[in-house]
Parts: sequence; C-alpha cells; structure tokens
Amino acid sequence: MGLRWFHFAAWGLFAFGLALLPELVSKGTLRTLIFANYLAIFAISWDLLSGRTGYISFGHPFLIGIGAYTSAILTKRFGVEVEIAIPIAVIVTMIAGLIVLLPALRIRGSYFALVTLAFMELMYQLVQVIRPDLTGGTRGMSGIQTLTRGAVNGFYLSSVLMFVIAVAAWLLLRTRIGTALTALGLNESAVEGSGLSTTKLKMFAFMASAFVAGLGGAFYVHYLGSIAPRALFDINFVFTIIVAVLIGGASTIVGPIIGAFFLTFLLEYLRPFLPGAERYFIYGGIALLLYMYQPKGIYAMVMKAWHSLHERAAK
Amino acid sequence: MTHALEIRNLVKTFGGLVATDDLSFDIKTGQSVGLIGPNGAGKTTVFSQIMGELRQTSGKISLFGKTLGTRPTAERIRRGVSRTYQIPRPFLELSVLENIRVGFMPNSIWSMITKGPDKDREIQLALDVGFSQNDFEKPASDLSMGDLRKLELARTIATGAKVLLLDEVFAGLTTGEISQISGLIQDLRAKGFTMLMVSHDLPALEPLVDHVIAIERGRMIATGTFNEVINDETVRASYLGEV
Repeated sequence: MGLRWFHFAAWGLFAFGLALLPELVSKGTLRTLIFANYLAIFAISWDLLSGRTGYISFGHPFLIGIGAYTSAILTKRFGVEVEIAIPIAVIVTMIAGLIVLLPALRIRGSYFALVTLAFMELMYQLVQVIRPDLTGGTRGMSGIQTLTRGAVNGFYLSSVLMFVIAVAAWLLLRTRIGTALTALGLNESAVEGSGLSTTKLKMFAFMASAFVAGLGGAFYVHYLGSIAPRALFDINFVFTIIVAVLIGGASTIVGPIIGAFFLTFLLEYLRPFLPGAERYFIYGGIALLLYMYQPKGIYAMVMKAWHSLHERAAK
Repeated sequence: MTHALEIRNLVKTFGGLVATDDLSFDIKTGQSVGLIGPNGAGKTTVFSQIMGELRQTSGKISLFGKTLGTRPTAERIRRGVSRTYQIPRPFLELSVLENIRVGFMPNSIWSMITKGPDKDREIQLALDVGFSQNDFEKPASDLSMGDLRKLELARTIATGAKVLLLDEVFAGLTTGEISQISGLIQDLRAKGFTMLMVSHDLPALEPLVDHVIAIERGRMIATGTFNEVINDETVRASYLGEV
C-alpha cells in the first residue's frame, strides 16, 4: 500500500481540524459544512464509479435517492428502527447498483451517461406515481426521524461519516484494486487482455459506489428529516456532484472532498451578492478556467506545489 | 512433444469476405513459429480468434490439448495464451511498474485488496525486458515506441501465459530497438516459451523462428522452415512480389 507517516499525519490533521471547527465557526457555517460533508460523500461515491472507471454517471441521484427513500419509507411508514433501516437501505441501493451495471456491460461513454440520466428521470417519475401513499408522491415526505439535534451534533455525525468513508475508500484504492480500476478507465480492452475480468471489476466499482451512495443518502435523509423528489432528482444536483469531483481532482478521493468544500462555500458566500442562479455562472467560470489550465483539479495543483517545495528544500 | 496450440479447420467470415479459410496448423510446446503474409492476409484475425476477441465461424482451437470453445479472452489468458498488439495498448497514465503489475494481478477482487503487489517480481521482469531503474516510475505516456513494445511484452509475460502471440513486434522500431527486442525474444525461446509471431520484417524474423506458415486471403499457402517458405514460388509471387 506504500503508507507513510505523512499520510497518517495528513489524515490526522484533517480529523483534528474537523473536530475543532465547531469551536471556531458560527452555527450557520456549521450547517453549510454539513452540506459540504454530504456533498463530499456523494462526490466520493461518484468518483469511485466514474472517476476511476471512466463510466460517467449522470444519474447518481438514482442511487442516492434509493438509499434515502428506502430508509425514509421503512422508518416513517413501517416504523422500522433507523439502525436497521439504514443497513437495509444500503443493501437495496447496492442491488440497484447492479441494475445500473447492466448497461455498462454493453455500452460506455456518452451512451452510458445518457442511460444513467434516464435512470434518474425514471426514478423521479416513479416515486411520484407509484404508491404515493408510501413515497409521498410529488410533495415528498416530511417528519422523517432525525438522528441528531442541532448543528453541532449534525456536523459531528456527518463529519465522522464522511471521514470514515473517505479513509476507507482511500485505503481501498491504494491496494491493487485501485490500480486495476484506474487501468479499466484508461484501457478496458487491455485490462481484459491482461487476463482480468472487466465485468468483475466493474461490478466491484458499481457496488462500492452504490454502497457509499446508499449510506450517504440514508444518513442525509435522516439529517434533513424530509425528502423532496424535485430537489433530489435534479440535474443541478448531478452537476454539483460532478463539478465537485472535477474541481477537486477526479480519481483521488481527497480531490472530491476538496471540491465539495470549495464548491459549497463558493456558492454559499456568493449568495449575498448573487442570490439567484447567477452564482452558477461564477462557479461554471471557475470550473472552466480550472479545466483549461489544470484539468486534474485543485488536488493536483496542491501536490505539484508540494513537490516543487520539496525539491527546492532538497537543493 | 505435446502441442501447445492446435488450430483445426478454422473459418472466419465477415459477410461475404472470408478472412480465415479452412486454416489448420499445430505449434509444439516450446516451438517458435512465424506467421507471414501480405497485408490483409488475415494474420491478426487468426490471433484475435485464438484470443477469443473474435468468434470463429467454424473450426476448433485447442490449447495444451483442451478446446477453448467460447471461453472469454481473460479466461484464455489464464489458461496460458496471451498476445501483444500491432499498436501497443499501454495504460498511459500508469507507471512502467504499475503497467506490469496489472499483468501480474490475480483475477480475484479479494486477493487484489488483501495482497500487496510483489514488487520484486515486477522489478525483475522490468529489468529482464530491458528497463532501467530510472524508468520504473515513468508514466507509459513518456515512453518511446521501443519501450512501449517492451512494456507490452512484459505485461504479456506477467500474465503467466506460456504461449505468446506477438503481433508485429518490430513495427515502428529503430535498428537498435529491433535488435533489443530480438534479443528479448531469443531469451524467451531459451526459457521455453511457445511463440507465434507475425512480422513483415523478414530479416529480423528469420533467426527467431523454427518454422514459418505463410497465408494469403486467410488460406495457408506454404509451411516449412524459413528458407523453404521464402523460396516457395507461391509465396514469392503473392507476398514478396517476385514472378
């Protein structure tokens, strides 16, 4: 795995920083940070699938939504304990991940992206018309059991969840499976030509991504206490996830976290000046500039600066 | 001596075009065979059928006495046959060692996660094919064509295959690189690998093969030693352009 002391130091510092934040910032900022944490989880989930394998998903809310709806329905409509509902939601999301995998066995590129978009759209329509007594139909559901009370507890729960997912995914992808998935994204036929089953690798990536999406979706709905299909199955939500990954640095795990925090704060701090959708021009512009000059994202910029400092110090 | 590879009455058609026409030949274990023919003769199509990348219309392919049937490419590789391509297919953003690592990987997700890479084996193989220590961390995108051919050969060997199909290994190489790759192939012969090689570079091919098969329009037109095939009248007329 090639783990070094500075890896542990960096993750430790990050955890320490997160733990300290409630002492340093206002409750309003903490609420923003909670959204950043959940966006980071969704971005990591997207990165596990699309950042590595190159199978670009435009329908990630399909998986997030299944996790969120399953847990919400189980707890609110059937009185299932939340500790049981969340694991069930994760399992159901992973089964849904298998459904998304099916088209990936035959198509890729823009065709796959469009199919995933169709999955999201289909889910949006289905939750509105099929058993609205369960899903809440167009209006969604409210009064869903929450896991925490107050911004501080919500922040700690989302931070622990994000941190554990990030470290687990980071460790996982430092093993040979990370190399194999990266290779899959770079040249699928050469992976097959190296004696590896691409179906097996894809299945793993889709399952891992669905696991994180389901977990994130379920916890998110129990943080919000409500679910609104229009906000969840929204193309803007998809692009926010994708842009967070790309701005931060795809295929890195750390990049999506940086991107999620950067994007959430950018949009939040622009709000007083540009309350409408104009904010998206700014973030689109930043994303565009970054892709032009550093397509590998902020993480690559930071690493480059770190290496050049290191080289200078060595001289 | 057992046959590493047996091709029997292989036929491949694409609509009205017959790409492989009732082709049959055997390669003994440890033997090195050259497959020659003009452009479009169907040499690469034979490779693709052996690897399962193309499904034959009819006929049988056996590896070490066992029919390959409709087995997928990855399984054929695990059974012992692997190939290189006319245009190398590296993982451009991965380093030399990481490219080789993919070849060494077991086809088990669990093993990939729980067992670390065998760096010593990766380094040894990289050195064996002629990389230096300075090249190990270089991304494949920074390599020359000669190095890419070496890298592809290394990844093919890393799969553990004992039958290697080498497609145009000398294409696009400098004289120095040709002699380096040629030396590598000689080493592989000495180690007992079975090889089927396609090359238009006949002088480079000559010292590397025990036997040559010439095909034209998917049909075998001559077989024998290098000199026998090269001096065959049909081969001279169709391939070498001599009347």
